[in-house]
Amino acid sequence: MSNSRFSTIAFFLGSSALSLIFLARSVLAEELPKLQNLDLFKLNGFLSQGYIKTNKNNFFGHSNDSGSLDFREIGLTASLRPSPKLQLSGQLLHRRAGEGSNGGIHIDFGFLDYNFANTPAAEIGIRLGRMKNPFGFYNDTRDVPFTRPSILLPQSIYFDRTRNLALASDGIQVYGESRADWGNITVQFGAAFPQVDGRDTEISVLRSLQRRGDLKTKLSYIGRILYEQADGKLRLAISGAQANVGYSPGYNDILLNGSFRFSPLILSAQYNAERWSITSEYALRHLSWKDFGNDAAFQQSFTGESFYLQGVYRFYPNWEAVLRYDLLFTNRKDRSGKKFAASTGYLYPAHNQYAKDLTIGLRWNITPAIMLSTEYHRINGTAWLSPLDNPDMSHTGKNWNLFAVQASYRF
Amino acid sequence: MGFLGYWFRGIFFLTLLVTFSFAGNAQSFNDSVEVITHPGINSNYLSKNLLRSIFGMRLRAWQNGLPVRVFVLPDDAPLHSVFTKQKLNLFPYQLRSAWDRMVYSGTGQAPFVVHTEEEMRARIASTPGAIGYLSGSMINDSVQVVHIDE
Repeated sequence: MSNSRFSTIAFFLGSSALSLIFLARSVLAEELPKLQNLDLFKLNGFLSQGYIKTNKNNFFGHSNDSGSLDFREIGLTASLRPSPKLQLSGQLLHRRAGEGSNGGIHIDFGFLDYNFANTPAAEIGIRLGRMKNPFGFYNDTRDVPFTRPSILLPQSIYFDRTRNLALASDGIQVYGESRADWGNITVQFGAAFPQVDGRDTEISVLRSLQRRGDLKTKLSYIGRILYEQADGKLRLAISGAQANVGYSPGYNDILLNGSFRFSPLILSAQYNAERWSITSEYALRHLSWKDFGNDAAFQQSFTGESFYLQGVYRFYPNWEAVLRYDLLFTNRKDRSGKKFAASTGYLYPAHNQYAKDLTIGLRWNITPAIMLSTEYHRINGTAWLSPLDNPDMSHTGKNWNLFAVQASYRF
Repeated sequence: MGFLGYWFRGIFFLTLLVTFSFAGNAQSFNDSVEVITHPGINSNYLSKNLLRSIFGMRLRAWQNGLPVRVFVLPDDAPLHSVFTKQKLNLFPYQLRSAWDRMVYSGTGQAPFVVHTEEEMRARIASTPGAIGYLSGSMINDSVQVVHIDE
């Protein structure tokens, strides 16, 4: 079966899951008013509007001028559980975040979950369709403001610059959980086709939007093992993935039928006390380009490194403060970026290869459904800036600030 | 730097706002809290770990195959906080994060939210497979009290 065909099937499955959910809802409402009381169907949603202002560089729109209101997330999440063994889930997402996400409505996920066994001691099941990639602590719910510790997730790991490749994929996932007095272990493993149709992926993999050919999704693998103490205080996770992307050259293309591979490994740890939580994640991200032709930029491979340490302090009922230090090195063998700058003949500055971000933020849960948050970043380096919002990456500001506010609502 | 100045002024103003709007708003809660189920659930004892799996929305069915239906009060209800801490040894924010992770990744469902203890009692008495909690003084024969093993 060809990749694109599989991808189409997965997409079809996802859409049918969504339409089935809505169809079943109306059937249930008419035919089985008694079951309504049991609410097999659940509908949730969220809506947010952000404002971002930077003193140099652009993030999520033209933030450098008068600030940018180009950051909006709207989601509709539905699930239907006709029996304890079977669940259909889907989420529609509209997201604007500068040039990288410029609107439209996407199927964020849509899948069928079959729970073979679920006992007090263990569960095991399988999922089929489009699923969020189980990746670190936050990727599965990265576009839901209420699930994030801050307005922007630590960019060293949860890139908004190239997000589509890591976001969700179409395929199959098996999962299992063991539950004991000493804690729960949850394992997820998936074989799926990642999404490669975004401009953000195109510019990251092909380094230009002017290529004649197209990216092709290829079979990829992802897995996460998560340990949680029974009282949830300590949470530890290890996630790994191998995302494969191919290239089909266009007419008279200088690039050949090459392939790109992104292989991240993430270690995650969190400790939760009543008033505070400490979270840290470390990632090694291996990237390699092969068989694209003679251009040196497309024959390389390197490993990037990411790390953050984050503290959340719940200092008053419904109020939270967050403090975080976030580090990104595009190439761990060239942390200063000097070799990179030299290799481009000093056309691009060394600081494009790293980013050190100190963030302080405040969050107010006005009601369980309404949240206001604000944060301030002092950043050294521009490694996670999007080239879509900053077309001239040779003239980025090295030391810069970012201020953000966001209002969010959910039901 | 003017930029930073505005931000700190904002924080200062918010801090004042918090201090005034929440001063003296700390609520105390003196009643006991008990786990209750629909009378059709014939187990009078549950282990603390099983109770965590149930309220963490991990266990989907009772042993006889009946779907588990979890009822809770809103996150900011004092009884919800007492129940979460005393019976589950968890903090309310931990439950909320766990539910949000499931709902917004499609891997689970959130519990049913009721707004008063009267509503909690009525829904649990009338829903097969239901589980929730009530303060001691609100319990009557329409629901079954479950004891939790430490």
